[in-house]
Amino acid sequence: MTDVDTGLSSTQLTLSPEEHRRLRRRYRRRTTLTAYAFLGPNLLAFIAFLLIPVVWLFVSTFRTGGVLGPAEFVGLDNWRDTFADPLARTSIRNTVVYSAMAIPAVFVIAMVLALALRTISRGSALIRVALYLPTLQPAVVAAFIFVFVLHPDFGVINYAIRGFGGDPINFLGDTSLALPTIAGIEVWRGTGFWTMMFLAGLTALPSELYHAAEIDGAGAIRRFVRLTLPLLRPTFYFAVIFATIVNLQLFDSVFALTDGGPVNSTISVSLYIYRSLFLFGDIGFGATLSFLLVITVLVLTGLQTFLLRDRK
Amino acid sequence: MEVEFNEQIIADFNSQVAPDVNVEFSTYDWPVHVAELTTLFASGSPPDVQYLVDLIYPAFAEQGVLHDMTDLVNDPEWADERANISPFAWDLAEQQGGTWGVPVLGAVYNIFINEALLEEAGLLDSWDDSYESMLAAAEALTNDDVFGFAARTSAADFAWWDWYPYIHNAGGDVLSDDWTECGLVGQDVVDAMQFLIDIHTAGVTPAIGSLDNQGLFDLFAAGRVAILHHETPNIVSLNENPPGFEWTVAAAPPGPQGHTVMGNFGILSIAEASNNKDAAWEFIKHWASAPQVGRFAEQVNLQVVRTDIIGDLFADNPAMKTVQSELVPRVQGLQPHPQILEALQAAWPVAEDAFRGNLTGEEAIAGMCAAIDGVLAG
Repeated sequence: MTDVDTGLSSTQLTLSPEEHRRLRRRYRRRTTLTAYAFLGPNLLAFIAFLLIPVVWLFVSTFRTGGVLGPAEFVGLDNWRDTFADPLARTSIRNTVVYSAMAIPAVFVIAMVLALALRTISRGSALIRVALYLPTLQPAVVAAFIFVFVLHPDFGVINYAIRGFGGDPINFLGDTSLALPTIAGIEVWRGTGFWTMMFLAGLTALPSELYHAAEIDGAGAIRRFVRLTLPLLRPTFYFAVIFATIVNLQLFDSVFALTDGGPVNSTISVSLYIYRSLFLFGDIGFGATLSFLLVITVLVLTGLQTFLLRDRK
Repeated sequence: MEVEFNEQIIADFNSQVAPDVNVEFSTYDWPVHVAELTTLFASGSPPDVQYLVDLIYPAFAEQGVLHDMTDLVNDPEWADERANISPFAWDLAEQQGGTWGVPVLGAVYNIFINEALLEEAGLLDSWDDSYESMLAAAEALTNDDVFGFAARTSAADFAWWDWYPYIHNAGGDVLSDDWTECGLVGQDVVDAMQFLIDIHTAGVTPAIGSLDNQGLFDLFAAGRVAILHHETPNIVSLNENPPGFEWTVAAAPPGPQGHTVMGNFGILSIAEASNNKDAAWEFIKHWASAPQVGRFAEQVNLQVVRTDIIGDLFADNPAMKTVQSELVPRVQGLQPHPQILEALQAAWPVAEDAFRGNLTGEEAIAGMCAAIDGVLAG
């Protein structure tokens, strides 16, 4: 490398401490402003479409009406009605039970599939596509598919059951089976997504750790428990929070398949909110139930964040 | 098809009544029509005229988004036309001290019977003498291939339409006469409910909740249900694709206090926010006139509420003619209370549970009343 005559001496290139601080402040200010400029539209959308509606929702919990007619202040009446309403309690219980069935089931199945896919080299892409296809189905299409699978008269499963001499099972018409069946359908729809998510997480894990563990004599289960699960903590962190948020808002498959029946055995909080707001025009009650759902999601998210935090 | 038929009415309106009025027709999606209408009214610019059924319009009337048409329908120049519409239909359109539309059409909830099966069993003339004879007929007709009886049981299929006549025939109703509390009172109502529980638990129906609205009808069309509660628009399906057996329509058997038929009727309303109320009224008068509503009813297989054209309609459709001439005069409609839909939705799961054999008639009526009173109190 040759020296280039810049016309400046080394003394002239040196910044004074004051100038250095000034330039550093200016650089920081510029990068901060640039960041805010990029974040600005998202922040505006957040305020307009989330913060203001949630605040409005909270205000609506103390009012009645307000959509087709003037709003009227009713104090805590909506809160009292919500906690006293047996159907609200049923909808909350159904939603929680559904989530408790669907989330662990889809995670276990997706993890098993992801681990299997990681070891497959030939045909892996095709299997991934096949696994992901159910996720792409809208709930109504999935509902239609499952009519042909579950129908007591002509459904594939019952056809097979009858073939073996058994009695047909009324999957969606039996009060004790309807909710697990809905959970099963949602697991079917979600498995592809979570398999890809876990596979991405698994692929990013450092292979040298596994080689070292293998050399040290760790078996497959030990490697999974001691290496894979801890290393996948960030993936699980996202997965648990996201799945909780999504599943607590269960609506479309229930709306399409059972409309909350039979005997309210599949009514979810979101379906009850929809009915209250759009079918019965009970804005205050619907708003209160909606706000409770928002709070529940926030609390559960906070709790999961605390429990899954990185303990160094 | 319905769009085409409405365009025909609009074309006649423009050629016969108001050439300068531009009418734009749109439809709403039936499964979510309440939500859709709520959004339209909330927008402040709903359609000037809308077709609303008796189950949902009272809530909109209560919230002030419908125009009170009392003065319009009492216009002396329209008195003859008003008189041609059945009183029961006006009862459905008038409540909360106002008149919220002009009754035009309805769908009656009838029974379809497989005449061949009933005749073969020697029950064709006696199956509908009483509740007991219907249960006995259903039991006699049930075998490995045929269900003797079927009715809708889930709220998603609006199953209460099939339940209503038995309750009305027992002197009960969802609400009391003054609409302040549950009207499911009296031993006759309990007995009627017990009968419905008995027929659903007697092994003569498909498993409760196993088949939806369409599934039950398809089973009937396949000759596998002898007595089916359903609705008149399906007559068109049976006419177009005749099943391999003779069939006809009928009403539910008489009860201790009456012999009624349930129907779900619709009115043409004007939005309070409409800036074209005069033109809207002219259009409603045209739509509700005998030639227009009669032609439309025949096209879509619904019933009219005008008494002056009954003899002229459905000449080539004996089943519809029977419905129009014999069933419609027996109609006792629902009570158009603003919360009637909510009351039915709240009470129905109790009935559904009872039909599964989990409650007695007395327990079911008590549970339904608790749900209805809960809605009225809320």
